Amino acid sequence: MSDALLSITGLAVSFRTEDGPVEAVKGIDLEVRAGEVLALVGESGSGKSVTAMAVLGLLPRTASVTGSIRLTGRELLGLDEDAMNSVRGGEISMVFQEPMTALNPSMRIGDQITEALHNHRKTSKDAAWARAVELLARVGIPDPERRAKSYPHELSGGQRQRVVIAIALACEPQLIIADEPTTALDVTVQAEILDLIRALAAESGTAFLLVTHNMGVVADIADRVAVMFRGTMVEVGTTRDVLTAPREDYTKKLLGAVPTLPDAPSAVRADAAEQTPAPVLDIVSAAVTYRRGGRSFKALDGVSLSIAPGEIVGLVGESGSGKSTLGRAALGLLPLSDGTMTLFGEQIGRGGVSRRRERELRGRVGAIFQDPGSSLDPRMTVGEAIAEPMLVQRRRFPTSPAQRRARVAELLDAVELPAGYATRYPHELSGGQRQRIGLARAIALEPELIIADEPTSALDVSVQAAVLDVLRDLQQKMHFACLFISHDLAVVHEISDRVAVMLKGEIVETGSADDVLLSPQHPYSRRLLGSVPVPDPAKQALRREARAAALHA
Amino acid sequence: MSTPSPTSTVALATRTLSPRQRGVRRFLRNRLAVFGIVTIALFLLFCFVGPLLYPTDQVHTDLRSTMLPPGSPGHPLGTDDVGYDILGRLMAGGQISILIGLAAGVLATVIGTLWGAIAGYVGGIVDTVMMRIVDAAIAIPATFLLLILSAVLRPSVPLMICVIGLVSWLVPARLVRAESISLKSREYVLALRAMGGSHSRAVLKHVVPNTVGTIVVNATFQVADAILLVAYISFLGMGLQKPATDWGAMLTSGMTYTYAGAWWLIFPAGFCIVLTVCAFNSIGDGLRDFFDVKGRAA
Amino acid sequence: MSVVDAAQPTAAKKKSDSRFWWYLLRRVGQGLIVILLVTLIVFALLHLAMPDGPATGILGMQATQAQIDAFNKAHGFDLPVWQQYLNFLGQIATGDLGDSFKLNRPVSDAIAQRLPKTLILALISMLVALIIAIPMGIFQAVRRGRTSDYVLTTWNFIVYSTPSFFLGLILVIVFSQSLRILPAQAPQGESVAAVLANPGGLVLPVLTAALSIIATFSRYMRSSTIDNLSEDYVRTARAKGTPVAVVVARHVVRNSLTPVIAMLGYYLPVMFGGMIVVESLFNYPGMGLLFWTSAQTSDYPVLLGCILIIAVATVIGSLLADIIQALLDPRTREELS
Repeated sequence: MSDALLSITGLAVSFRTEDGPVEAVKGIDLEVRAGEVLALVGESGSGKSVTAMAVLGLLPRTASVTGSIRLTGRELLGLDEDAMNSVRGGEISMVFQEPMTALNPSMRIGDQITEALHNHRKTSKDAAWARAVELLARVGIPDPERRAKSYPHELSGGQRQRVVIAIALACEPQLIIADEPTTALDVTVQAEILDLIRALAAESGTAFLLVTHNMGVVADIADRVAVMFRGTMVEVGTTRDVLTAPREDYTKKLLGAVPTLPDAPSAVRADAAEQTPAPVLDIVSAAVTYRRGGRSFKALDGVSLSIAPGEIVGLVGESGSGKSTLGRAALGLLPLSDGTMTLFGEQIGRGGVSRRRERELRGRVGAIFQDPGSSLDPRMTVGEAIAEPMLVQRRRFPTSPAQRRARVAELLDAVELPAGYATRYPHELSGGQRQRIGLARAIALEPELIIADEPTSALDVSVQAAVLDVLRDLQQKMHFACLFISHDLAVVHEISDRVAVMLKGEIVETGSADDVLLSPQHPYSRRLLGSVPVPDPAKQALRREARAAALHA
Repeated sequence: MSTPSPTSTVALATRTLSPRQRGVRRFLRNRLAVFGIVTIALFLLFCFVGPLLYPTDQVHTDLRSTMLPPGSPGHPLGTDDVGYDILGRLMAGGQISILIGLAAGVLATVIGTLWGAIAGYVGGIVDTVMMRIVDAAIAIPATFLLLILSAVLRPSVPLMICVIGLVSWLVPARLVRAESISLKSREYVLALRAMGGSHSRAVLKHVVPNTVGTIVVNATFQVADAILLVAYISFLGMGLQKPATDWGAMLTSGMTYTYAGAWWLIFPAGFCIVLTVCAFNSIGDGLRDFFDVKGRAA
Repeated sequence: MSVVDAAQPTAAKKKSDSRFWWYLLRRVGQGLIVILLVTLIVFALLHLAMPDGPATGILGMQATQAQIDAFNKAHGFDLPVWQQYLNFLGQIATGDLGDSFKLNRPVSDAIAQRLPKTLILALISMLVALIIAIPMGIFQAVRRGRTSDYVLTTWNFIVYSTPSFFLGLILVIVFSQSLRILPAQAPQGESVAAVLANPGGLVLPVLTAALSIIATFSRYMRSSTIDNLSEDYVRTARAKGTPVAVVVARHVVRNSLTPVIAMLGYYLPVMFGGMIVVESLFNYPGMGLLFWTSAQTSDYPVLLGCILIIAVATVIGSLLADIIQALLDPRTREELS
């Protein structure tokens, strides 16, 4: 207790909503000690972000906060606005999730950093500016003098997050609260930011309260872990204890649901014997070029990929790799500027079959999209959405309304949802349930190929595990081929037979899932793999060293 | 998201309210909108049923009873400069104002919606050409256009409806086009295309139903603006010839008597205009809430 | 740290500058097309409305066919329509807008005399309106949902729903008739200087015009500010310890102002349209009044000339507004690149 820098006791937060009061945090105790990195984990709805925001009094007016939050013994709850402002940025800083929108777009970077300085110190403009440049250098931004004069839109996401960290560091606070600071970043960039945070914690002795849902991140940099579920604190302990020997059931369940890359190839996988039946999807030297105002940008460049019947091919890459573009092109949503695409043996696109024939072929393909919120028409019931493919392809599969209703019930059952959901609207369902509806719609016509573009990326870990299970079961029963696009290597490994790695519009490596993801050949694949944090602190420490060695090699 | 949403912690809603039912509840919660509907209903009764209960002669002048102040026997709101009963004239004028307003507003919305939907969904050169035309038409102020058309053509009710409609369709066109473009790339429209759906199905089943909200909201604002434009036309001297009248014409002819202190020639008509337009604008605001499905979704 | 990021900035900046000029060029080109379309529309409308030309309107209903024919021949109305249009375009290109039928002077003269006065009135009204509307909008956004917001919104709502000539009338009744502190008629001077020399007479016209503009623009500013207040960068600023008032003044105002300024360009035609009403109400000798009297006398060339000038002004205005927005908002510059 004496070591506690931040001491939270009996914190309860409730929100006034139009449906009545909602309790987001139901009385938790938490302690952050000086110089430590404490991870606060939980899924959505656990109340972890609400807790973080409550510390600095940044919750909206509809929130009522009770309990106690003490900073080195001083009570923070109930402080007046001026006193709170001197704490914010001065003694406790905060870093948020979305780097792309965290900075004022019309203000120079340097000015945004000096603002933090001027808020808490009496310095001259020159001294403040010099310190800003120094901070930029410290967080690893190259050419800091020039960068300080640039605007946010000139920086990448990772760089913007570094700037936000620089702002947080400006007045040398004792504690930095980081709310999902790397969630919106690519895995390689995330690894760099985590390195930075670790270095800062070590050098300056700043404590970190890190809110995250990613267990790998926890294993990488946290000293202690606190697990939250639906507003209550479930378990607190050192990282090693909680991650390798969890006490509570929920923690066990949570850790069990986290997809992990195995250390060694699994015993027996379907052999990649060269039977070569005709591929369901064959893409040869595909290119997609965007043209905007005289400038062209190659989203896909000479990409070749083929998917055999019943095969699950995983497509991984970071943002800008072109994997989503490939998915969209495969779905016929983007025209190819070059190359050919053959679907079920018939060429589609330019120089291929007629548009009507292509539409018929599309009836044998199912699509699952990333955002469960926008992949279903908010004005259609669940039943109507699932039945839509049947209506679209009625020429091939004429159905009566009664038949469609029956099929919808079948499909809901297949994705393990109650049949009564057919009359509900999407907004009444959770993200995971909506994604299952998307899945049901995708399999409605018993497709031979399903293209899934980041189908589980927007879902909580436990929900993701459930949806993946359903997908896997269905695939085993129905034997459809699948193009599974994701940035999550562990998920892709769990579900795919073969994997292709993409970088800047090209495929840099293909092979079996084990080969590519456990012993990659291409330098980029290696770097990608090395950056993925695993939820075991000891193993993660080793991986970190390996990665550092590789970078300096 | 700026702040964590408390709704993610709410247990699943067990009610199965359709978007329409939820919308009705939200609409009714907007008191101003309810006031708007009530007001319009009252005005419709006043203008169309009123003359049956309170018949006055709105065709023949009565030069013996000009400029009578309100409260005079037989004339609760007084008479105007040629002897017409003001109260009765308000009813007659209201019929015209509201009728033209509604018809012109609907006309403008229909033309604008079709124009904008086609431009937005088809895109490309068609879009560019159609929108340049809209830009050009917007560059000409409405009152200028109204003046030219009204000066040349003999004012009549159908003509005024056409003229106002022709001047007002530009705003809905722009709005609907923007909606079409944004809806075109929604994932559920993409999903439809991915399953082999045709463009016409996309437009009819997905784009239009999700645009209806914007269209209807805008239509009510169009009606409000149209009623104002009717008043402007009359003010500029291009309105209907006597004995026909509308509220704007009543205002205009009453204005010459401002200095004579005959306030009853001006304020009742002006008040009616303001109240009616306010009412339609409030209904529009309320309808915005009614159609906002996504905004409140979990 | 990728090396690419470091090397990009100078090249990117040069690229974005040249793209900016391209954008400008494209917009000017679009503007010219719009103006061309405007002339087409107006010409078409007038010919649709007066298929036989303005002869009967100008010479009177009793004009004989011979007189009409002579008139038509003299003014070129016997040529096919498309030829008349081309002639007209050629004329405009040399700056000649033709001669007025009724005023016995070139159209460009008549307009040149009246336009500055309308512009002055419009400019003053706009300035007054913005000085009030922008702070009002910000105030309402910051005090959203509270009584002051509600009161101001209702007030704007009512003003928005009132015909401007009614508003002007009320102002005249209050200030000219009852209180007798302001004249009911606008200054009648021939030149802008003469007009400005009598500022008292300008007060009511400006107020009438400004009230409607305030109602519209404070609504825009309010919603733009509300949008910006919920942006992430506001949260970052608050987390630094910046007091709310400073956050609003330093961060929010500038970002909220940009789209509202863009609206100004599109609002120009509405404002010019409003000038007709204000000028006829207060008998202000500007272009609006000119247009009105010309419409009543079917003075064809003046009508065309006025509309052309207005359209050009609008196109220039919206171009300027877009440029200002691009300059102020680095994001727009990014989108261009």
